[in-house]
Amino acid sequence: MDGDRRRDSRSWDWNCPQSRAQMDQIFFREQDYIQAGSPEHKEFWAFFDRFQRFKAKRDMSGSGVRGEVKEKKRTGSNKVDLGLPKEYDARYRINVSVCTGDIEKRMGKSDPRSRQRSSGPGPQEVSDCRLALLHFLDFSQKQSFGKLAKLRREQKNLPIFQYRDRIVELVRLHPVVVVAGDTGCGKSTQVPQYLISAGFSHIACTQPRRIACISLAKRVSFESLNQYGSKVGYQIRFETSRTAATKLLFLTEGLLLRQIQQDKILDQYQVVIVDEVHERHLHCDFLLGVLRSLLADRPDLRLILMSATINIKLFSEYFHSAPVLQVPGRLFPIQVIYQPIPPEEQPSRSEKLDPRPYLRILQGIDQRYSPEERGDLLLFLSGMAEISTIQEACQVYATHTRRWIVLPLHSTLSLVQQDKVFDVAPAGVRKCIISTNIAETSVTIDGVRFVVDSGKVKEMSFDPKAKMQRLQEFWISRASSEQRKGRAGRTGPGVCYRLYSESDYNAFAPYPVPEIHRVALDSLVLQMKSMDLGDPLSFVFIDPPPTASIQTAVTYLKDQGALDSHGELTSIGRLLAQLPVDVVIGKMLVLGSLFNLVEPVLTVAAALSVQSPFLRSSQNNPDCSTARQPLHSNQGDPFTLLNTFNAWVEVKGDRGGGSRKWCRRRGLEEQRLYEMVNLRRQFKDLLKSHSLLESEDRAPSGGDRVQRRERFTERKKLHQLKRDHEQQEGSKRKVLRLDEGQDGELSSGSDTEDKGRGRKDKEGQGQDVDIQEVKFKLRHNISELQKAVSTSQDLSSRHQALLKLLLCRGLYPQLALPDEHNSTRKDSEQVFHTRNKQGVVIHPTSVFASDPEVLHVPEDDSRETGPDRKDSSRHQLLAFVTLLETNKPYLSNCVRVPALQALLLVASSVDTNADCTRLVVDGWLELELKEPEEALRVLSTAISLRSEWERLLKAQLGQSSLREPSGQGVSRRDMEKLSDSLFRFLLYTEVNYSLQRLTAFQAQNLYIGPRGEPDSSYSEVPDLSPLFPGAEAKPDPIKGGLRVTSFFTYNCLADSKDLYSECLRTFWSCPNCELYMPLTPLERMHHEVSCRPAGELQGVEKESEGEPAGSSSASSLTRIYHCDVCNEDLKLTSTEILKHKRQHMFSAK
Amino acid sequence: MEQSAAETPQNTFSCQLCGLSTSFTYYGQKPPNTRAVVLLEECFVVKDPFSPDKEKFLVLGSTCSLCNMCVCVGPDCSLFYTKRFCIQCVNKHLDQFPQQILAELAKKKQSSKPGVS
Ligand SMILES: [Zn+2]
Ligand SMILES: [Zn+2]
Repeated sequence: MDGDRRRDSRSWDWNCPQSRAQMDQIFFREQDYIQAGSPEHKEFWAFFDRFQRFKAKRDMSGSGVRGEVKEKKRTGSNKVDLGLPKEYDARYRINVSVCTGDIEKRMGKSDPRSRQRSSGPGPQEVSDCRLALLHFLDFSQKQSFGKLAKLRREQKNLPIFQYRDRIVELVRLHPVVVVAGDTGCGKSTQVPQYLISAGFSHIACTQPRRIACISLAKRVSFESLNQYGSKVGYQIRFETSRTAATKLLFLTEGLLLRQIQQDKILDQYQVVIVDEVHERHLHCDFLLGVLRSLLADRPDLRLILMSATINIKLFSEYFHSAPVLQVPGRLFPIQVIYQPIPPEEQPSRSEKLDPRPYLRILQGIDQRYSPEERGDLLLFLSGMAEISTIQEACQVYATHTRRWIVLPLHSTLSLVQQDKVFDVAPAGVRKCIISTNIAETSVTIDGVRFVVDSGKVKEMSFDPKAKMQRLQEFWISRASSEQRKGRAGRTGPGVCYRLYSESDYNAFAPYPVPEIHRVALDSLVLQMKSMDLGDPLSFVFIDPPPTASIQTAVTYLKDQGALDSHGELTSIGRLLAQLPVDVVIGKMLVLGSLFNLVEPVLTVAAALSVQSPFLRSSQNNPDCSTARQPLHSNQGDPFTLLNTFNAWVEVKGDRGGGSRKWCRRRGLEEQRLYEMVNLRRQFKDLLKSHSLLESEDRAPSGGDRVQRRERFTERKKLHQLKRDHEQQEGSKRKVLRLDEGQDGELSSGSDTEDKGRGRKDKEGQGQDVDIQEVKFKLRHNISELQKAVSTSQDLSSRHQALLKLLLCRGLYPQLALPDEHNSTRKDSEQVFHTRNKQGVVIHPTSVFASDPEVLHVPEDDSRETGPDRKDSSRHQLLAFVTLLETNKPYLSNCVRVPALQALLLVASSVDTNADCTRLVVDGWLELELKEPEEALRVLSTAISLRSEWERLLKAQLGQSSLREPSGQGVSRRDMEKLSDSLFRFLLYTEVNYSLQRLTAFQAQNLYIGPRGEPDSSYSEVPDLSPLFPGAEAKPDPIKGGLRVTSFFTYNCLADSKDLYSECLRTFWSCPNCELYMPLTPLERMHHEVSCRPAGELQGVEKESEGEPAGSSSASSLTRIYHCDVCNEDLKLTSTEILKHKRQHMFSAK
Repeated sequence: MEQSAAETPQNTFSCQLCGLSTSFTYYGQKPPNTRAVVLLEECFVVKDPFSPDKEKFLVLGSTCSLCNMCVCVGPDCSLFYTKRFCIQCVNKHLDQFPQQILAELAKKKQSSKPGVS
């Protein structure tokens, strides 16, 4: 037999591709279990080579001794004969067989011929190949079963496994169950699986973080042997893997809340698991409250709260003493060492952190532990500045000792840099990861043996008085402290160094302050209103927020126009509640939909809702700054973001994959741009679904058949790439270079790193797939995107001005006034004031920090009119997105707007004196105009523009709430006319005025207040309601004067002269009609608003033809007026009423 | 695939020796879509969860040809040598197995002794 084979193999070369191809035709045909060309097929031939080598080796060494069962033993037993073959053959150990009878028959027939041909496979070759195939099948079976067995073993070893049946039983018996267990007990991955195995379906499991949703879905689908199916899915803001087959869905807390908004009783789920409830995020606390009241309507719903072993009683009691199941965690022992920082090394308030205490710990580790004993170090600091200080010092030490790789970790790092903390250090070297509290719960790094805890955290809090967010440093809580410590004992025994004393620790608060007590509640209150949850003050929260917080939010929402004066949702508010963004951003979107500014507004709104793409670390890199320069706009940061996004889309279209490099050159985090483009798309869809934007009813993606097919093929390829990537993911952790910590930050903009990394990737996995690029291409049609973007590129001055106005209106009341002395100050010392906070500065990342002159009043334009007053027509204000206090109160994302025009168009309170030369806006800004003529003109223009804007906006929103196909909505002509007038008002209002803040004294004595006795002369005051829709000119009960519109109160300022004194009347002739008479400023304004130029009025009349009476603006100018003197009902315009009254007045005199 | 899995009642395979338990979708010698491949014993089979290919199968276990115990294919629970034998039966009839197998069993015993929880 052996001789046979040897003779044949001379003419048969297994290494020849043709030989293998011939075998493929026998064993790996289209219809076979393994097909030629498939991955398994490739694996088989690799296996085949190994198998042949193994056989050859065995033959050579002669170890192929046929094992014969020793007869003597067998005789000794009186048991059953198993009937095993006498001669051992490995083949007997394989429980599969491959029937290739059909082929063999064919082979048999052609046998003689094939034998003659030197290239054909003989029966020996076929049988060799079959044997190899059998072994291969057996090998793959063992491999897969091994994985399965390992998986099951790991599941069994989890601490929670013992409680499996108990958990299922509790859930069956109780509507609410609390499962408490510490890190590593396996609750997040196992509890959902236990429920599925027990027959539960439609399970939702919420997570505070999006990343956790994806990674848990991946892990659990793998563990439940469904990694290629969709039984387990996730759903986050832009992505979902949910299908009809999905039984278990991981989703964010915010998303589940939105689902409840749509589906009040949450019919789609049988079980809701709320994970990580102990983290006490705003959404989570709220979600618990909502679910608690929902349970009354859904007695069949099962609710499971999962928590670390922190404050469990609170949760149980909130749900009427729900049963608690406590699972021990799996932590290795951790030694705690208290090393309080000596007084001389304590940082004073202004100083940098002293690195000595931290360096001592590194040194100590080096002395005490041999480098062969692996284990990394995780160091917790409060913030970025602290991290970079300590990083610098540790890096010097690391370079010197060559035993450490220092890596920072915080959320503003690029994702590539963040990812480095998961890579492994070379032998003999430890990672020193310097992190914010992000590594406390959000990011889990394996292999940490040492933890250094500074005991500090920086937390955001909201100051309702200054309307400002504040980032302050605090001592952490005992719960956080334990959490940090626990990070040292995940993979083995560890050590935790606490840089505070044990008595400090004992003085810490037991738990961190829940988010609901720290942040602005605007969005929460808005959402509560839209969910019909009644008065937010009486809602039963697990830990109610301060009443003042809720009241502040209600006031704010009223200011924003989202709630009416009764606290009910307005139509715009209803819409805003459905947008998953800040109220101000939502407002921008709605406003943008009205004008032809949707595309740029979408981009800006998206850009302002994600973290800035500009990496802080690249700020000081001169190459980056130069490359960024063309993107900057001195109109404001939103415009810089707009330019950046547009340029990026351009690059994407032209060069596709080249965008990564383009971003690196400019110090941009491309991930943020991907987020923007996704968010932008979501906003667009939202606007469309609310009929605020016409949906393009073009054929899907257009193009002819060839193009469509091309696109289809491309998409197929992209999907494959995505799948391939997903399979490779996680299996490739790189080994860090010793110099890794040093380059990172500084050279992130250079190309050298690019090449280095690219090479590494190529070696690792054959091809360097930019998975973000792939996903981007799958999700977006680049040519459509480019088209959309091109409309917002090179904005005309008109569009730019309008866009600024929209942003300003959206951001209102977030306005800041430049200090009057800024032009004499250094660039770095420019100061601004908001209504509630004086002396704020511009964040160094803002364009106005580097270019503050554009905010100064030009010298040649201004006249000094007093010590602190400058008359100019060029005063500007900043509208800003955030006011955040860190070491100073900083404004970020600012846009500059012309002060007078912007205030008149967006402010919610404008008060004037009698001749309208003194304006006070929102009770804090004072504008003084020299010329009453000009003042009146500007004011009346603004009022009519605002009322038209309001009218169109209402029509637009009304249309969206009716969900009717357009027709009744806003006519393009009206809209264009308005945008044209707004633009002219913004750019060509050349009025000189001074702009200043009111002093405290002025603000106190601002108004004349209501008149003591009812004055008969009020009845003489013309009723102006038809002119200013939605408002009657009536005495203001608080300020005094006359409330003309919702935002405008005339003659209420304390310096005002008597409203009705005749001396204020001056003769005036109307340019549009023949009216000529003495009028007070107010009367004149009424007339101006109602008396349009002849041509304009005609246009209005023409347009309103055919519409039902009463809806046209022409007919609204007249109204029924009852004259007491004539005792008659007259149908007159207000000017005619005035004239009519005057007749009687004069005749009486 | 998923729908059919949802419709069919959960059949669970459980190894009587190690307790490994997971649902199976087929029992027999000719799993669906395996073409020329046949099993030489009646097996509990499931779609291979670790392969993206829907048609790849995975044998979970079968019954011992001697004692009829349901065992998984893991080397600690059973072995196949022309027939399936649970490890208990193997140990009872060690003398009938060839030396290669005995050597392997001995080797495994040695290596598995320390440090398995
Ligand atoms: Zn077993
Ligand atoms: Zn047995």
